[in-house]
Amino acid sequence: MAVDSLRGARKVGRYTLLVSLAVVVLFPVYAVLLQALKSGPDSLDHPRSLLPVDLTMSTIRAAWTKGNMGRLLFNSAITSLAVTVGVVFTSLLAAYAFAFLRFPGRGALFVTYLATMLVPTEVTVLINQRTADSLGWMNSYRGLIVPSLASAFGVFLVRQVFMQLPNELREAAALDGVGHTRFLWEVAAPLSRPTLGALALFTFLGTWNAYLWPSQVIRGDLSHETVQIGLERLRNNDIDKVNLVTGGLVIAALPIFLMLVAFQRQLVRGLTAGAVKG
Amino acid sequence: MLGPSAALLGVWTVYPLVRAIQNGHLRCNVTGSRCRDAGWGQYLDVFTSDDFQRALGVSVKLALLTVPTGLVLGIGLAVLADKHLRGIGIFRTIFSSTVATSVAVASLVWFVLLQPEIGVLSDLFSQWIPQLKNPGLLRDPDTALPAVALSSIWASLGFTFIIITAGMQSVPRDLYESAFVDGAGGFRRFTNVTLPMIMPSILFVTVVLTTRALQTYGEVALLTGGGPNPQKPTTTIPYLIYGDNSIIRNDIGLKSASAVLLFVISLVFAVVQFRGFEKRVHYGS
Amino acid sequence: MMTMKRNSGWMIVAAAVLAACSGGGDITDSGQDATTTVAASTVPGDTAATTTTVAPDSLPDCPTDALDSATGTVEIEFWHGMSGPLNDELVRLTDEYNSSQSKVRVSLVQGSYEETSDNYLQSSQDGRPDLVQTPEYMVQSMLDTESTVPVGKCIDASGYDTSTFVPSALSAYATEGMQWSMPFNISNPVLFYNKRVFEAAGLDPNKPPASLDELRTMSQKIVDSGAAKYGIAVESGFDSGGGWYVEQWFCKAEEFYLDNDNGRSNRATKVLYDNATGVELLTFMQDLLKDGLAVNVGDNSISGYDNLLKMADAKEAAAMTINTSASLGPVLTVLGGGQFPNITGDDVGVAAMPGPDGKPGALIGGASLWVVDSGDDVRTAAAWDYVTWLVGAQQQSEWASATGYVPVRSDAADLEPYKTVLATDPRFSVALAQLEASPEGPTSAGPVVGPLREIRSVLATAVAAIFEGADVATTLADAAKQANGLIADYNSRNS
Repeated sequence: MAVDSLRGARKVGRYTLLVSLAVVVLFPVYAVLLQALKSGPDSLDHPRSLLPVDLTMSTIRAAWTKGNMGRLLFNSAITSLAVTVGVVFTSLLAAYAFAFLRFPGRGALFVTYLATMLVPTEVTVLINQRTADSLGWMNSYRGLIVPSLASAFGVFLVRQVFMQLPNELREAAALDGVGHTRFLWEVAAPLSRPTLGALALFTFLGTWNAYLWPSQVIRGDLSHETVQIGLERLRNNDIDKVNLVTGGLVIAALPIFLMLVAFQRQLVRGLTAGAVKG
Repeated sequence: MLGPSAALLGVWTVYPLVRAIQNGHLRCNVTGSRCRDAGWGQYLDVFTSDDFQRALGVSVKLALLTVPTGLVLGIGLAVLADKHLRGIGIFRTIFSSTVATSVAVASLVWFVLLQPEIGVLSDLFSQWIPQLKNPGLLRDPDTALPAVALSSIWASLGFTFIIITAGMQSVPRDLYESAFVDGAGGFRRFTNVTLPMIMPSILFVTVVLTTRALQTYGEVALLTGGGPNPQKPTTTIPYLIYGDNSIIRNDIGLKSASAVLLFVISLVFAVVQFRGFEKRVHYGS
Repeated sequence: MMTMKRNSGWMIVAAAVLAACSGGGDITDSGQDATTTVAASTVPGDTAATTTTVAPDSLPDCPTDALDSATGTVEIEFWHGMSGPLNDELVRLTDEYNSSQSKVRVSLVQGSYEETSDNYLQSSQDGRPDLVQTPEYMVQSMLDTESTVPVGKCIDASGYDTSTFVPSALSAYATEGMQWSMPFNISNPVLFYNKRVFEAAGLDPNKPPASLDELRTMSQKIVDSGAAKYGIAVESGFDSGGGWYVEQWFCKAEEFYLDNDNGRSNRATKVLYDNATGVELLTFMQDLLKDGLAVNVGDNSISGYDNLLKMADAKEAAAMTINTSASLGPVLTVLGGGQFPNITGDDVGVAAMPGPDGKPGALIGGASLWVVDSGDDVRTAAAWDYVTWLVGAQQQSEWASATGYVPVRSDAADLEPYKTVLATDPRFSVALAQLEASPEGPTSAGPVVGPLREIRSVLATAVAAIFEGADVATTLADAAKQANGLIADYNSRNS
């Protein structure tokens, strides 16, 4: 951290800069939030007022019912939770195998795992949609959840942590006759809790925000749509009431934004896991 | 132990990739039940076709618009917020906040803002940018892609800020102190100490942002629907494959070929960036 | 840096080599190694090819009485493309059907037209519904899936009486002698105009333009008088101004759009719209724009309402626009909300779409119902039963009044509530009258070809270029070339 101490004018200058940039970054959010809090006719005024006056919850309420937001949020929540649990679970198992078990081809297999991180969704979605269809998983929770239950990134992350556990730990446990399974669940996993928490948060966020795969597997079944697709449907169906869309946006983005504020530290840890020092 | 994840990845990632590569040289009927083998030359045909080349140009242009700008803005914000000031935590939260937005949310936010009749921006800035009001940034062929880029840059700002900030925070303080002692001013300290030390973070952000730019689909679908006809300046490669107006919507062979080509192109970009940064990235001191 | 320079150097060389090897061309031309054989004659103007008929025995049967022997309630799934108020009414009709009897229960799955069509094409036998609604451009693709029970067989098997049906509604969905699907919601494009503006310009609000020439002179008067900034708002959406309306104009001009009788007597092999009629038509539109009498609102792709919104624009409004008759209901609902002070529901006038020399007629738009061959007789019979409900006279009367679609049968106009709707708001009768005024003959049946949607998309891109001033003849010729490539490619894969 730089050591220069800011005095007087420089401090004021820096604060001014920070505030103005914060305003610029937040402006889109503020504008949309404001529009969502205005009633229908008000939101079409020319010139638009940027002041928080004449606020009402009517638009948000209308968006909630028209857009079936309750159901959408529920679907997204279920999907994201299930995938998060699944990813953490499968990543723990696989990472343990790569970190503590010896078997032929371990190196090559790990590289293959890493390689799958590079395959974009655009390629896999085509065939996966047909696979899901032949399994009868279209328009269902299974279709939304199962394909995402494993993550090479998760395996990479957790293995990273496991590799940093001191060897003596494993050796001591082996001397005590502790098998692999017990070691995993009673020693290795608890010690990796911060990283697991970061992975969980990161996975939850990614699943909540996913667009391409849900749009391919949920087709027209309103009861299974996630928030992201529901938003698009809201926009297409009510194009003449754009402020309804803003109401939907606020409802959709609020849960995640609150999560961000609450779990900021874990989120940062999750995102930086691959960045700093490779 | 490996069972669950290997099976899942095998079925849902490896298998689709292999099938897609296979499908890429087929041409099929409407339902995909009868196919004819057109040979591997089909990949070359798709790559050199006008439609694909145009989409490739759009994707590359989008990357050129979003990546450098996003990096500069993210680094700038990170540097600004990297001081012990009262309440700096709030600013950091604000600057990271866009990481919470999804593609749909970010795109729709900008969709609302950029509407010519009711968007707020058109009221405020139409004096300087007349296209804001007529026909709207998203409908004007010259400004449509920059408008999409704007939405992407804003959405990725939080991500970039978080990564760069984390990178900066792990730079050892003694490096700064010795630079200070050597008489280096703030700017010199940045270029000689900070920048080289956060190269891994910069590389990571560059690769991720470039991949996102090449894979841009949702933003285009929600903001422009492929860009005003006839120029279609916002039809990226994914939109060419999956978009509403896609010419190859029901042709599994051409879709697979295009998707695999996109994968290869992304790989090439990533490799080039890694190699390019190789000389400059310092791991540890 | 040396490494990077060397890498990019190789890449540039590789790219150059690649680019030099094979030319560009359309993406759909990829993989064409084998020469494609073209079936019918390709002599220009020679459209009277021999008619082929489909052998009914090779198609699945429609056992309409299987429902009698069914025990318990049969559950069937219906995929449709109705949204907004159209969806609301379909839901209401379906609920009424479900509660009026206990043999069949229908569940609805909603999507857009594109989503529904794509989903159907991409699903396997197990994933398909029992009934699907696909738009009129999907006729050839749907019958090429070889997965449906032709509705004509159901009609014959049950002795269903179609004598009161609008003839062109049925013929729109029949090719090679077989009735494939049942028309359900039909529309055609009509002229929407602002009566208030007409009055202010000194024009008779009850005499809107009937021919393209009148469209021009009236637009001139409107612009000169300052009653509105533009005479007409045009757009180049593929399912409207850029594609579908062009087909309509060809129908009005009594000309074919595709060869082989618009693809109905035999598979079509090429488009005909780059002929003199097409060039003259689009040059006329281009001139309207150049002279400031018309305004181009773009490709209308996001909302589909851009041209209508232009009529309601506060400062630079257009006095007229062309839109599908199906939007009349939603438009009046929206205007009733009072959002647009410049134009109220009463100001809106509706008239037949102006065409070349004022000749009448229109092609069917909308969608039809396809009974899917599930292999289960009972479900097929159940789907047919539901179909007969949806096109029953009473239901069509209710459907038409709520949506603004034209009823598929003329006896619906004698029943409430549509009877009163027509009596009190004659605007709703314009579309039906326009349809009934179509000249007898094969040109009134509309084009049928596999990649019709893609062809419209290609034409829409060309029209957008023309609206921006491109040379009409060459642009149309290029579009026709691409369209013909699409047709040849489709035929080689599907026949």
